[in-house]
Amino acid sequence: MIYDFIVVGSGSGGGSLAYYLNKSGAKVLLIEAGKFYRKNTFPKTEAETSAHLYWGGGIEFDKAARIGFLRTKMVGGSSIVYQCLMDRFDDIAFNDWKAESGVDWFNNTEMDKHYSQVESDMVLHTFTPEERNGNAKLFVEACDKLGYKWGNLRRGQSNCGAEKGNDCIGCLGGCFRDSKQSSLVAFVQKAEKEGLEIITETEIEKVEPNNDTCKIHGLQNGNKVSFEGKKVILCGGAFGSTRMMMRSGFQSKLQALGKNFATHPQFMWLGFQNEPVDAHKGMFQSVASKDPSFRAQGFKLENVFAPPISIGMLMNVTGAEHQRLMKQYRNIQCIEVAVRDENAGVIRCDNSGKMSVEKTLTDQDKTRRDKGLQVIENILTTSGAKEICKSNFPVGLHLMGGCVMGVDAAKSVVNPEFQVHGEQTLYIADSSIYPNAPGINPGLTIKSLGHRLAMQLLK
Amino acid sequence: MNEFEFSLTQFIIRHSPLNIKKIMNFFSTRATKGLLKVGDIYCPKNGDFPSFTEAAGTAYLNNLVTHVPKDDFSSLNLVLAIFSFLPNGILNWIITACEKSQNNPSDGIIPSTLRQLNIGLRGLCFSIYYSEFTNPNFNGKKPLDVIDYRLNRIED
Repeated sequence: MIYDFIVVGSGSGGGSLAYYLNKSGAKVLLIEAGKFYRKNTFPKTEAETSAHLYWGGGIEFDKAARIGFLRTKMVGGSSIVYQCLMDRFDDIAFNDWKAESGVDWFNNTEMDKHYSQVESDMVLHTFTPEERNGNAKLFVEACDKLGYKWGNLRRGQSNCGAEKGNDCIGCLGGCFRDSKQSSLVAFVQKAEKEGLEIITETEIEKVEPNNDTCKIHGLQNGNKVSFEGKKVILCGGAFGSTRMMMRSGFQSKLQALGKNFATHPQFMWLGFQNEPVDAHKGMFQSVASKDPSFRAQGFKLENVFAPPISIGMLMNVTGAEHQRLMKQYRNIQCIEVAVRDENAGVIRCDNSGKMSVEKTLTDQDKTRRDKGLQVIENILTTSGAKEICKSNFPVGLHLMGGCVMGVDAAKSVVNPEFQVHGEQTLYIADSSIYPNAPGINPGLTIKSLGHRLAMQLLK
Repeated sequence: MNEFEFSLTQFIIRHSPLNIKKIMNFFSTRATKGLLKVGDIYCPKNGDFPSFTEAAGTAYLNNLVTHVPKDDFSSLNLVLAIFSFLPNGILNWIITACEKSQNNPSDGIIPSTLRQLNIGLRGLCFSIYYSEFTNPNFNGKKPLDVIDYRLNRIED
């Protein structure tokens, strides 16, 4: 069988793209390397979440083990484990994309129709003051005292049950209420009901495009499988799509393949209060910095927290000292800085398919990090923290680049129409095409780019 | 793990008297002993806190590593098996070196490997200790109770 469209990867990009293509009546196949978890089958504990929902069974590292990467493997991709914060890009982000890529439709006027469509297909909620938990209240009060601007976050959610006492931090391992508007809930499950064909636990290793169709080959439960589509769209994310392209021999044709990797390195610092903060209770992430000067300086702050194992990992001490800090878990106030990093990272893949990533913080990245951490220290001190735990281990959650979009085939992998340069039947539509780090949560824009490509393919 | 480390690990595995090759997919008894020793350094008996050995549900260990790449898991198994033979003083020194590696500016093989080991060992120990996967025979206060962690999970 030759499908009209084959979408490889079911995260933010693949999920929305498959949904809009399928809606048109086209014959669409969605292929996912991971398992198909549902709201009643997601892991129920933090330990199992790390072990079962991520590639490599947990955290992956850059070559020098200085940054940890979290890369999910399941239907819905990263949208399952993130907070589903739905932010549109500002003019700064699009202008920088346009300058780097030469793509003239990178602007809010052109993207507005795609953002609007995706937003209308999700349930969005902007947090209210009444929904703030102890951690958010401390953040807001200190920002007000220090004159830092902040704002309420907007999240994709329909029915979190907070009024009944549900603690949202539990949905970091997948939302057991189908409230979080992940790619799974907002797009894949809806498309499934409308007949979308979905194949899971199938890892694509090679793509073979020609003028009329594109064949793809991979492994399903250890058995070789092949599929053919009139058009194939890779949506495996920065690591996944880059790897598939490299395994298919495109590195000799496209010099930019694997380059321009960025990840918004995130540093979480903990402040210890005298009284319980209970940062893990209720709506655990509801506010963030909105200060224009922070944006200009290349960082943003978020009012985050994590369950005990992850918080324990941030404390680089052992034994009784570690236990002394952990015993104050309920008293912890937590703030994270996300750095808008330079796209200086490189993704590689050897002949056996094993990937490695070179990603060091540039001098500019370090300056941005240090400025952000200074602001965090000001906030924690102003909040009355008696002690601060300064984690120096960054985590990269937003994996971007590797197959960047641009007009110049010497500097990019896909053209402004999402087509791999020189190919008629092979496309890429995920965070790997991001020309550089926007410094803004990437989820909504990935989904909207999926919508843009769907409209283009269905013309 | 770089190519040199991988080759070295493979060589050691093939020639190891510990016969690691046969237990590639799950923790060996020897590796489990090593993990308990390391775990007791990370999480000792201290006030209300039980020791790692008392609290850890090692029966759950294999469930937590099913998706770890086999090469990496073999290396981990080997390292833990070696740790089981080391005196506590040397093990303490290694763990301190792992901790300090986080601030080491070098990207060389040794500090990079120590950083991986630091995160890997801490991740494994804390995943068992601060979780619901406690030893079913342990009747004392569990680490999650000691830190007073309670999560409301309201399903409609």
